[in-house]
Amino acid sequence: MSQSGLSRRRLLGLGAALPAAGALAACGGGGDGTTTIQFVAPEDPKNLEPVIRGFERANPGVRVKYTPVPFDRVNDVLQARLGAKDTEIDVFAVDPPRVSALAARKFLRDLSGYREQVRRDVLPGQDAPSYFRGRLWTMPIWSSTQFLYYNVDLLRKAGIEPPSSDPAARWTWERTVAAARKAQKAGAQYGLLFDQTDRYYQLQVLPASLGGGSGVSPHDELTPEITNPAWVKAMRWYHDLFADGLAPRGVSPDQMNVIFSSGHAAFFVGGPWDVGVFSAVTKLRWGLAPHPYFAGGRPVTPTDSWGWGVNPYGANADAGLRFVRYAALTKAGSLQTIATNPIIPANAAAFPTYRRELDRQGGDASAGAGALMDHELRHTAIHRPRTIGYIQFEDIMNKAFADIRNGAEPAARLRSASSALVSAWGQLR
Amino acid sequence: MSTREKARKPALTRIRHSPAGVALLFLAPGLLFLLVLRVAPAISAVASSLFHYSLLHDTTSFVGLDNYRTLFADSDFHHAVLVTLVFNVVINPVQIAISLALAVLLNQKLAGVRFWRALVFLPIAVPPAVSAVIWDVAFQPNGLINAFLRVIGVPAQPFLTSSDQALWSIMILCSWIGVGYWMMFLISGLQDVPASLQEAAQLDGANGWQRFWRVTFPMLRRPLAFVLVADTVSNFLVFAPVQILTNGGPENATNLVMFDIYRRAFTLGNMNLAQAEVVLLMLVTLVVVAVQFRLLRSKE
Repeated sequence: MSQSGLSRRRLLGLGAALPAAGALAACGGGGDGTTTIQFVAPEDPKNLEPVIRGFERANPGVRVKYTPVPFDRVNDVLQARLGAKDTEIDVFAVDPPRVSALAARKFLRDLSGYREQVRRDVLPGQDAPSYFRGRLWTMPIWSSTQFLYYNVDLLRKAGIEPPSSDPAARWTWERTVAAARKAQKAGAQYGLLFDQTDRYYQLQVLPASLGGGSGVSPHDELTPEITNPAWVKAMRWYHDLFADGLAPRGVSPDQMNVIFSSGHAAFFVGGPWDVGVFSAVTKLRWGLAPHPYFAGGRPVTPTDSWGWGVNPYGANADAGLRFVRYAALTKAGSLQTIATNPIIPANAAAFPTYRRELDRQGGDASAGAGALMDHELRHTAIHRPRTIGYIQFEDIMNKAFADIRNGAEPAARLRSASSALVSAWGQLR
Repeated sequence: MSTREKARKPALTRIRHSPAGVALLFLAPGLLFLLVLRVAPAISAVASSLFHYSLLHDTTSFVGLDNYRTLFADSDFHHAVLVTLVFNVVINPVQIAISLALAVLLNQKLAGVRFWRALVFLPIAVPPAVSAVIWDVAFQPNGLINAFLRVIGVPAQPFLTSSDQALWSIMILCSWIGVGYWMMFLISGLQDVPASLQEAAQLDGANGWQRFWRVTFPMLRRPLAFVLVADTVSNFLVFAPVQILTNGGPENATNLVMFDIYRRAFTLGNMNLAQAEVVLLMLVTLVVVAVQFRLLRSKE
């Protein structure tokens, strides 16, 4: 009887001890006195390993535990976890146009105390999307632009002179599509692919090139403007790419660069990170040129990339902030963020090294890529709109793009997207 | 020992010696989980659905039934309800009919019947997300199914990229997962039908179909009732295949209510409106299940 009572007590004690141990582990403190920073982002773990190791070497006693989440689910995961004031995230990746929405929801720690340091250490203009209502909420880690890549052999087979890398000789979309059709007739499976098919980041520049604006009224951040003639014309053009078979339906964005690198597409619109991908494919002969624009319109290119923010409820938010400053504001940390992931660093001191590396990485194919990237960032880059309704905007627009790609009538689909935006944004007021 | 402890002891002893008390003690963990995981979230959902959070002004206000009015006036919600109803009206009878047919077939004394049962049951052992990814590859324009269709002379189909075919494609996937599972319950029901009844009917001159319809089917009412209710509830709550395969598209053709709730809560960040939709889904499911129970009971 007494033994039975003892074993019950032991059992109860164990039951009480296990949650307590879990709670201690949840606080991020290791039994050996280490502090563990919980970091969430949509990157391949190997791409972040150098900066994590570099930070840990520079900060003995601090560890960074990285949790990757799928690119398309970052917003949902953060909304669910940060909305519940989850202390298990200290640092997380933030797409710059989402800063307003996340800051308004109090998911981000105010970093305004570092605004001068950020202004001094990052490339000019790269910190702009990190501000909301005059305060700094994230630190920019990377930036981006887009190039027009081409398959040398497919173009040669079709008798097409490849586009120049000189921004002054930039091709129009009309010329690009004509060349893509010709290449397809000569044997290319596909004519023209977008790396981030159906995503606003990639497609904003189409209506913008025609003067259609960003899709958000410049006078009211919660009023959509996506039904003007420029938007309809741009989306009609996008629709026809897939209707005519120049680009494939039913293929997810992450498979697009695989199609190009396996030699099945004549043209591909993608970021500087694709230089590394294509350079690794020995059989592929490729080149790059400036991002096209519509005839009669103006050249514009996508830009921005992930910044990192600190969760105000994070158990180790202070250590997390040190990690973010290391990655964003030191040359060593910034270079480590791109060591295995060739994307433009937002850090000004790291940028020249990256520019040289970009020229070198692809051999003859990427010669001049650094100068072209520099030109695009200075002269043609446009930020995505800053609105507290950006999350709703991106979700509704991306669904509309996918439907248009799959055959929906562009003008009607833009009208229904506009109604959905009015309804969703009405809920934010 | 304090007087309080003395007073408590007889009460505990009384509970230990009362059958109802013992039953309650055994049920306590289950009831606790039911309370924490089911009842409390349901109450929280109802409460949350009566509020509105303004992100622009950072204020939360009591709005009564406004969120429900918003939903009833929202064309996306109307569409989600319609899609969910069409989905359920089609998929539930189809899944149950196929499950029953398979159960009857695989309840026969056939060679390798255990192997075939395992094969039909296997998809339920695969996580729904993995099944969805496998079918995503199969449904692609250059995927396995179109390759097969081309071999038999049928033109390639758009499947998930067509607003006319996407919902049917999701139904195929859900049925592939579900029929083996429901079949097992029906096989177990078939095995409970006394052989003497079948033999008596046979002696009375009943043919195979008559024996099934007049003897087996009525005896299957209880397992069928369970399968019908459980299958309906599970099909009202379908989520993972939609999220992975179509994201509710094309043109909202697969925007089932469960996915719509998820989208409002975690993509659009409108928790109050999503909770109102949860409450409505709960009510609709309860009504459907209650009607099913009533229909089945009235025939007993």
